[in-house]
Amino acid sequence: MPADRYGMEARSAYIHVPFCRHRCGYCNFTLVSGRDAWIERYLLNLKRELALLKQPRQLDTLYIGGGTPTHLSSNQLDRLLEIVDEWLPREPTSEFTIEANPSDLKDHRKLDVIRQHGVNRISLGVQSLQPRKLDLLERDHTPREVHDVMNAIRPWLRSISLDLIFGTPDETLDEWKSDIFEASLLPVDHVSTYGLTIEKGTSFWKRKHENSLIELDEDTSASCYEYAIDRLSELGFEHYEISSFSRPAHRCQHNEVYWSGKPFFGFGPGAASYTGTRRDMNHRSTSQYFKLMETGGPAVFESETLNQHRRAKERLVIGLRRMEGWNLAHFEDEYGFSVHGLVGPKLKELIRLGYLIETDSTLKLSRAGLMISDSLWTKILAD
Amino acid sequence: MTAIERNNIRNFCIIAHIDHGKSTLADRLLEHTGTITQREMQEQILDDMELERARGITIKARAVAMHCDIDGTRYELNLIDTPGHVDFHYEVSRSLACCEGALLLVDAFQGVEAQTVANVYAAMGHDLAVIPVINKIDLKHQRADEVALEMEQSLGLPMDESIRVSAKTGIGIPDLMSAILKRIPPPEGERDSPLQAMVFDSHYDEFRGVITYVRVMNGTLFKGQKIHFINTGSVHEVLELGQFAPKRRPCEELQAGEVGYVICNIKSLDKVKIGDTISVPGEKSGTALSGYQEPPRMVYCGLYPSDGQDFSELRDALTKLSINDPSFEFEPESSDALGFGFRCGFLGLLHMEIIQQRLEGEADIDLVQTAPNVTYQIMTKMGEILEIHRPQEVPDSGQIAEFRQPIVRVNIVIPEEYVGAVMKLCTERRGVQTGQEYLSPTRVMLTYELPLGDVIYDMHDKLKSNTRGYGTMDYEVIGYQPADLVRMDILVNGNKVDALSVICNRGDADRRGRAVVKKLKEEISRHMFEVAVQAAIGSRVIARETVKALRKNVTAKCYGGDISRKRKLWQKQKEGKKRMKSIGSVDIPQKAFMAVLDTGEAGK
Repeated sequence: MPADRYGMEARSAYIHVPFCRHRCGYCNFTLVSGRDAWIERYLLNLKRELALLKQPRQLDTLYIGGGTPTHLSSNQLDRLLEIVDEWLPREPTSEFTIEANPSDLKDHRKLDVIRQHGVNRISLGVQSLQPRKLDLLERDHTPREVHDVMNAIRPWLRSISLDLIFGTPDETLDEWKSDIFEASLLPVDHVSTYGLTIEKGTSFWKRKHENSLIELDEDTSASCYEYAIDRLSELGFEHYEISSFSRPAHRCQHNEVYWSGKPFFGFGPGAASYTGTRRDMNHRSTSQYFKLMETGGPAVFESETLNQHRRAKERLVIGLRRMEGWNLAHFEDEYGFSVHGLVGPKLKELIRLGYLIETDSTLKLSRAGLMISDSLWTKILAD
Repeated sequence: MTAIERNNIRNFCIIAHIDHGKSTLADRLLEHTGTITQREMQEQILDDMELERARGITIKARAVAMHCDIDGTRYELNLIDTPGHVDFHYEVSRSLACCEGALLLVDAFQGVEAQTVANVYAAMGHDLAVIPVINKIDLKHQRADEVALEMEQSLGLPMDESIRVSAKTGIGIPDLMSAILKRIPPPEGERDSPLQAMVFDSHYDEFRGVITYVRVMNGTLFKGQKIHFINTGSVHEVLELGQFAPKRRPCEELQAGEVGYVICNIKSLDKVKIGDTISVPGEKSGTALSGYQEPPRMVYCGLYPSDGQDFSELRDALTKLSINDPSFEFEPESSDALGFGFRCGFLGLLHMEIIQQRLEGEADIDLVQTAPNVTYQIMTKMGEILEIHRPQEVPDSGQIAEFRQPIVRVNIVIPEEYVGAVMKLCTERRGVQTGQEYLSPTRVMLTYELPLGDVIYDMHDKLKSNTRGYGTMDYEVIGYQPADLVRMDILVNGNKVDALSVICNRGDADRRGRAVVKKLKEEISRHMFEVAVQAAIGSRVIARETVKALRKNVTAKCYGGDISRKRKLWQKQKEGKKRMKSIGSVDIPQKAFMAVLDTGEAGK
């Protein structure tokens, strides 16, 4: 496999659209708000970056995320998807996802554009269906709007996913139960649940340190997470990765590419590509991305090539985040280490403590291990 | 320059509470005697700051010689500065031994403070002539009359003897000058007697080595002389001697009664002990002056490198520090829980904080420090006396005949309305009241005898918070007394952590045990397993708390480009354990080691 970012034979791509109407208080993603005038320049530069491919690439999965891709006007969205169609053609069976903000989809012109370009999966940034939480999270839609949008898109989409956040300040388990219940009444195929983390650089972080925002206690947050796992499973969703739940045959294939270590292209500010050995990350600053592309590109900010040992450890950890875990023989064939040879006696200890479950052929997380998995990763990754 | 007649020399110091204007008064005297011009004053101040920076803080005495001519007679005034903080009692006493008089400087608004009282008594103990000086009389809210009365009532200094000045504006400085000449007696001593010179301070100069500050009591010191430091036993040759004016001014000799400095190519400060006597080697040697002692280390603590830090780096840093500060001592020790480290002795808590800050600031060493403790004494049933510098050294209770703790006399000066609150505080700490005195109709001085261990950690903070910042205190050690003391151990998941043991009063043990385990529970973060924290006396558990196992620690999102960032984050958590020690498999942060100081008193 050639190690060149644009020359490789990847069959997946991610495109980052760094625009939002408003930066929510918990968000630390690569994006700009109130800079709609930059969108034209972005389209120009994205086109330049895609042209570095030199020839179009046939894809199995394509994911357009952000930011908020649907923040673009219908005309801009149309041009974005045209560029993408030109360089990244797909089969009808390919998965084509776009992230959408529910209130943007009230505009039927945008829906038409998305549909015409063959998008077959929408990931809706719902976050909650409780007015209190929506307000706290600074989201601009209402539960009613989510219903309406869902009904409008359901007939022609293969998959609908929605994001839900739990563990917001002052949240009760009952409030979260209502979220899960109301979400289960919607025609969705896939749910991603995220525990709110208050990251550096966000306005929530600042408020937390001024004591005007108090992080939810660990025990309540844990109960919410466990409830989601139990209840969604009862509702027929398969818990297939730490935060992902799907109805049969509706897993997100694009994300599975990330988790299984397959190569992918990344375009746009902050996007990463992966050749299977090397990761290249574009500049996270939108204006820096523009400057680099306008002087011939690429817009790579940093690259990382892991040695065999480090790569195997990373793969072990990322793979264990999938509930099916690792097939031991498969892991050894692929990365040249047995899991025990790689991690050493610590692994036996984690198995003995019941955080990991080893059978003859597999290694996977237990429920207890899942709940504190970051602590496990720290132990596994330490040298 | 011709030598000054011994009768025309005056050696004195200034006693003052912090912020009562000591350095301003010193500057004014320097200026009045023409020792320094106003223009030079600026430079002088800068020089001083340099020196203070090099030493960390103004903790040491300094000396400056001033001259003035009155009615055709030339006088020499030697001002010996004394440190103000209670940690440096011993240095203060050596400086006082070099003086015949003291200016007691009191702020015309603040009045007499506890520290002032303690230092005045110390000066009187050395038979010094004390001149009461009321400063800041230019202030709008000055109450000089009342303050004069306070001094008379509390210190027995007659009201009409006080001199009123403003060091800031210069009012009253000539009156003060003549009072110094008239009321302070000239030094005694004979220039032809065997040499006896008192070492009252020293500092390290990177070009000249140790600069030793001396007061010649008898005999004469001269250039080229062979001298003998009686207590340390070392012999050196005088390369240079002179006076500070205020910069070093070399001269040929220093006679009985004079104050100055000596340089003898000594490369380490620990070779020059404060309070030592300089004489000549051989038969003509004088005897040692009384009062010499090792600097008393009042507080001990263990310093250990954090996980992943190097023991030898810490040792090198401590060695380097001790060259500049011989009053701090350290020796290697090991702890079952913490591994290899050092037991360090300090003059007091301020001194300990200074050293710790310098270690972290200058040497960039990541430390774990155990809770400070005072020195206890144990008499064993065999009749042996043990000095206990750390709780681990306490033997089994069956071997103890008597357990003794250091007792201090504490003077506390407070506005009258806080008497009740302060008495309550002292009683809670088993204080015995020995005095109560009205300094003025509204200000009271309470005297208590209290265990040093109950005073040293947080008594000052407690006093300030109980008196809205108005209370001041000072203390001095008066001896050891038997008490009903026990060692309280802390167990983490059943394992005794020696570095967390404390010595406390048996009657307080239950309350303290509960407070300490509760505090530890807050400081120890959740682990992958439950952590039990217990306090025990001998084999009896007196308190228990449980740090619940971690319930949730999971990163939700991990996609595409984020994978490497998340991986680095997980990896970093192990490296990021600054100021931590892993004991068994439990990570104990620095703050937990201080948790054992929690007294469990109400109102915390």
